[in-house]
Amino acid sequence: MGIKLSGLIYTLILFPLFGAVVIFLMPKKRFELFQPLAIFLSIIPFSVCLYLFSNENSKGSYQQFDSINWISSYGIKISLGFSGMSHLLLSLTSILVLLSFLSVTENYSKSKGFIGSILVLHFAVNGVFLSGDLLSLFIFFEAILIPMYFLMGIWGGDNRRYATIKFIIYTVFGSIFIFIGTVYTGVISYSQTGTLALDYVTLSNLNFTSQQSKALFLLFTFGFLVKVPLFPLHTWLPDAHVEAPTAGSILLAGVLLKVGAFGILRVSIPFFTEGFLEYRDIIATLSVIGIIYGAVVAIAQIDIKKLIAYSSISHMGFVMLGISSGNLLSLEGAIIQMVNHGLTSGALFMLVGFVYERRHTRRISDFGGLKITMPKYAAIFLFTSFASIGLPGLNGFVGEFMILMGSFGTYKLLSAISAFGVVLAAIYMLWAYQRMFTGEINNEENENLHDLDTRELVSVIPLLVLMLFIGVYPAFIESYVLNDAQIITNVVELFSGGLN
Amino acid sequence: MNTVSQIIGLNWIVIGPTLALVGTALILLFCTITIATSDSVKKVVTISGIFMTLFAIFLKFGLFSTAGPSSYFSEKILLDEFSLFGNVLLGLVLLLNFYPIWNSSFELKDKTTEAIILTLMSTAGFMLMVDSENFMMLFIGLEIGSISLYALAGINKGSLLSNEASLKYFLLGSLASCVLVYGISLMYVSLSITGVYETTIAISFIGIENIPLTTLVGILLLIIGLLFKVAAAPFQSWAPDVYQGSPTGYVGFMAATAKVASFVVLARLCIVSLGLVMDKFELFFSAIIILSILIGSLFATVQTDMKRLIAYSGVIQSGFILSGITSGVNGTSASLFYLAAYIVQLIGIFLIFSVITGELSSDFSMENLSGLFIENKYLSICFSIFMLGLAGLPLTSGFVSKFILITNLWSYEKYILVFALMLSTVAGFYFYLKPIWIAAIDKPENSVPPIQLKLNDKISVGVLAGLTITLGLFPNILINISRWVVQNYL
Repeated sequence: MGIKLSGLIYTLILFPLFGAVVIFLMPKKRFELFQPLAIFLSIIPFSVCLYLFSNENSKGSYQQFDSINWISSYGIKISLGFSGMSHLLLSLTSILVLLSFLSVTENYSKSKGFIGSILVLHFAVNGVFLSGDLLSLFIFFEAILIPMYFLMGIWGGDNRRYATIKFIIYTVFGSIFIFIGTVYTGVISYSQTGTLALDYVTLSNLNFTSQQSKALFLLFTFGFLVKVPLFPLHTWLPDAHVEAPTAGSILLAGVLLKVGAFGILRVSIPFFTEGFLEYRDIIATLSVIGIIYGAVVAIAQIDIKKLIAYSSISHMGFVMLGISSGNLLSLEGAIIQMVNHGLTSGALFMLVGFVYERRHTRRISDFGGLKITMPKYAAIFLFTSFASIGLPGLNGFVGEFMILMGSFGTYKLLSAISAFGVVLAAIYMLWAYQRMFTGEINNEENENLHDLDTRELVSVIPLLVLMLFIGVYPAFIESYVLNDAQIITNVVELFSGGLN
Repeated sequence: MNTVSQIIGLNWIVIGPTLALVGTALILLFCTITIATSDSVKKVVTISGIFMTLFAIFLKFGLFSTAGPSSYFSEKILLDEFSLFGNVLLGLVLLLNFYPIWNSSFELKDKTTEAIILTLMSTAGFMLMVDSENFMMLFIGLEIGSISLYALAGINKGSLLSNEASLKYFLLGSLASCVLVYGISLMYVSLSITGVYETTIAISFIGIENIPLTTLVGILLLIIGLLFKVAAAPFQSWAPDVYQGSPTGYVGFMAATAKVASFVVLARLCIVSLGLVMDKFELFFSAIIILSILIGSLFATVQTDMKRLIAYSGVIQSGFILSGITSGVNGTSASLFYLAAYIVQLIGIFLIFSVITGELSSDFSMENLSGLFIENKYLSICFSIFMLGLAGLPLTSGFVSKFILITNLWSYEKYILVFALMLSTVAGFYFYLKPIWIAAIDKPENSVPPIQLKLNDKISVGVLAGLTITLGLFPNILINISRWVVQNYL
């Protein structure tokens, strides 16, 4: 092994922050350099992720790296950790950041603040995926808010103030429960080990009573579910998606929604398994309600961006159903579906952004017959829609099929109901496609639209290739999620066996 | 054979910082009323006086390390960890506020050095208060400090708001002092208690069950007098008006010194004197904390004046600090960290306000912030750091202080308080982010008035913002200090 793994991990966390500093220090007059520089700066974390695919550790189960003494008198350390699931999500983040820099042409791509905010966001998200203890997880989880506040606040749509404040308040309200959970775990850790050690290795050796486990599971999971979002907690999501700028939407849907599910997989279930077994029925039921509800509401949308936002609720419902089923197949499916949803919703938001730049509207009824003027765009949109619906041969099918197969073992009725979500997905995606792309051009403003240029094609085609690759050869991605899913399954089986 | 001075414990080093400040103030007074002295000489005198004070505090550390906690001047003055911590914080508050106060004095119509003298006297008084073992000394220190502050609030004689602030502060402050003195006298009447350590001895001697009600009422009134100074609800009503009316250049100093001195004295009282009877006051303190959080959060959300908003935020922060102080030794150490981190943000915010609207202005409405990002990026970034620090976002000192405090509260099993405090944090994100929105995100409707940022203000703001971030990333040193303060009482 040529390069030390820990060095690469530090690069992944710190390089985006370094990039943001570089961007902020650039002279304001050379604005034409900002976007190329940003692309260059985000290629480096991306290539580190690619390099990690050649490393055997990247497939492995969770392993902890360096710990830094943070508050020595309380024994609090900041640790970093890494596993196959982290690696996949890090790769997803770095490719979406890279492509969103490539795809953005609006005026604000010339702004340092915009590019710097995205790089800071990249830093915070990488920090969440690489965190090795509860405290650093919380710190990075909250740090995501700062760049999102500015991204949505400054470069958002007309109603951005309402959407931004709602997003912040919802997330903060959720995260105080994570905070209290962290504190509670710290106090328990203090009583058993004599220090406030919160790293995952210490946590796995602590003994929680049944009551503590249930309380902690509720505290942590509630906080993460706001971010996912699960059905009754989802109302911030459509507003945030609609008002965010294109790059913000891509990252919000592609990456930030995964942070919540990642937290549940990394913290809630492995450490507080008794609580998980107690409350998973509720989560599964709510996920299925979310799947159907999101899909039905998506059918009724007149704004294409809002339609994709509600479809995200539906798709993340599948992820949560897979997680709450808690067997190997469904957990693997859930992690794969997280990556899939990142790719497809990222691509869809990017495509909506392309057409929005041309027409400055997102109402479905303003379009019609785009297939005639923009054939390449129509083909790519159709391809992505199929991936989103879950057509066999594309990535969506792999994840949803595994989730439904796995959850059928645990929740027969619920998984049967949720299968209708796939049908509804076909209705809302294809109907939207039909209204936007087929038929005659009945709006003369659509007559002179030019098709996608090379830059736009370059920024969306990598995502399409990945969708096809995962769909045709799922064994590759499955080998990266196997170990994480296996560990969670073992813990769940251990505890459910003990309870029976 | 012991000399008389050794028996009564005459030791000038112990009150060295107070003496240095009073001496400097007297020299300045002399310069002002007798001989015409140039401003630069006065400036040199003041700066050297402040550094003399800091040096005297340094000497006290030497005395402490050889003698340990001990009392001097026939048990009037106490030298312990609390007094050292308070002295250092008060000295630093004075040092950090030197430039805004100095500049404000020359904005005044008659260009007097009155304000400087009042500032020095106020710090001297509060240092005496922090040092006091005897309750009468505490009262004298508090009065010297507070009366100087009443005068500072009204120093801009032409401004109606400034006069109003001064009068309000004076009337309500005197009332609080009366309550405090009455409490002290009740304690003396019932059990002949006059000092911090005497209280402990008397309580343990007479037994917890046999403490007369008069003593308890006395202690309660003493505590209420101190709570008034830190603006804990329901004794907060003066704070918004005083903050709003007083000349902006002085508010940071006024708010910080009174808070530091009162909280340090309160911490010592709770840990040293009342350790045995804290259970009797638990309900009272819980009510004060919950009220502070509730009233502070509710009123802060509707404010349009930034200085009033910061005043109500101060009410909330007082609730946070009190919750640690009243819950035990480890909680107190967390609260002392919280206090130090909070006053850094407080001073920084008022420094920025005074840069934007001038040192002598009274009002500071939120519109004054609009377009700050376009006009001056440096100030708006520092302002955002301070506000996010108050909100308690990670990577700032606000997060670390809240984390340690809540951890300690949870370990004391005060679950209801924890949930109340955390909910107020959510509300806080609403009203702390609103000014950032106006400063950095909203497009200004009117043209933005230019801001002249002097070099010394730039450095002060930068140092304070840097401290907020540094304490958030590397809190180790200050946490160790705050634990050192209480380690003897564990």
